Amino acid sequence: MEQDQREFAEFYAAAWGDCLRIVMVSVADRPLAEDLVAEAFTKAWASWQKVRGLAEPRAWVIRCAINARVSWWRRHRREVALGSQDAVAATSQHQVLDRCLVAAVRRLPVRQREVIALRLLLDLDTRTTAEMLGMSASTVATHLHRAIGALRRDIPALSDQELTP
Amino acid sequence: MNDDHTLTVIKDRLAEVRDCLGEVYPSIPAGEIVARARRSHVRRRLIPGMAAVLALAVAAALAVTTLAPASHQASRHPQVQLAAWTVVTQPGGNVSVTIRELRDPGGLQSRLRADGVPATVTFLSQLNPACHPWPGAALHGRHTPAGDALFNEVFPPYPGPPGVIVIRPSALPSGGGVQLAAGFGGPGPRASIAIGAGLVQASPECTGS
Repeated sequence: MEQDQREFAEFYAAAWGDCLRIVMVSVADRPLAEDLVAEAFTKAWASWQKVRGLAEPRAWVIRCAINARVSWWRRHRREVALGSQDAVAATSQHQVLDRCLVAAVRRLPVRQREVIALRLLLDLDTRTTAEMLGMSASTVATHLHRAIGALRRDIPALSDQELTP
Repeated sequence: MNDDHTLTVIKDRLAEVRDCLGEVYPSIPAGEIVARARRSHVRRRLIPGMAAVLALAVAAALAVTTLAPASHQASRHPQVQLAAWTVVTQPGGNVSVTIRELRDPGGLQSRLRADGVPATVTFLSQLNPACHPWPGAALHGRHTPAGDALFNEVFPPYPGPPGVIVIRPSALPSGGGVQLAAGFGGPGPRASIAIGAGLVQASPECTGS
């Protein structure tokens, strides 16, 4: 048990930052992202015997946090909207594009967001992504293709211009 | 432009967004995560038995508990204005709560209690574990038609600007309390601030009375 806890604590310390950064792309604000990631790590510890043996335990946590976001909103549907928080005004071409891109990613269906998170942000290959999401490699490719199509439609700049750093 | 090129652009831009956070470290120690998992495990084991206990508790609360009418204390605090939220007690005894910023839920909770509303106010992520939902009308859980009707009595629709919750304390059932929970959320690309409302069973540990 102690050995398990040590192992989990090491994983937690090493993976927290990656998981939070990736979940933040999918979730609008940091406090909520931190909550979701903490909840996902709590579940990871509860299933540690399974999670530790996975090819990429971080992917399990990220997927869990993204899904928790969906169920969080379903649970708390008795809300009164109190207004929106505008992001800090963007100035450069990249900043504008980044804001649009993140906004568009957040509009994608959850499966496509999961694929974007694992394939593009965690940089997993298609096979590992498929394994982590419990789908076939061709389904991963289909979700990714559709996600790219949707992002292209949402953000013409992705197709129109060559971006330079 | 083909998929591969777009993919590369998207990947690069998202990586930039991801990495702009820089180094981040866990805000919660690993030991606390382990402890949370244990508590959650215990709760899952207790829930089936608790359902029966709660049903009895509701019956007992209905029989013996009375609440002080909100208007009794409200007159001492007709209006309190703070930056994050405002509580206004209206002439008919209704209490309107306006939340502008997500901070100081404890202060809002104290103010509502001082105005005679048995209330628990927290962030959504830190709901008071001592609070038990009012059947059918809770922030969490399944809603029933009767629970929804009660909810609409206690939280009547407010025709004014968004961001205000009106509480009708006189509509609270005996033994009932108000739960407010603030957080970020909402579908769509931009974060919105949301306040969840529900009914709970009043108790000293949950609603202060």
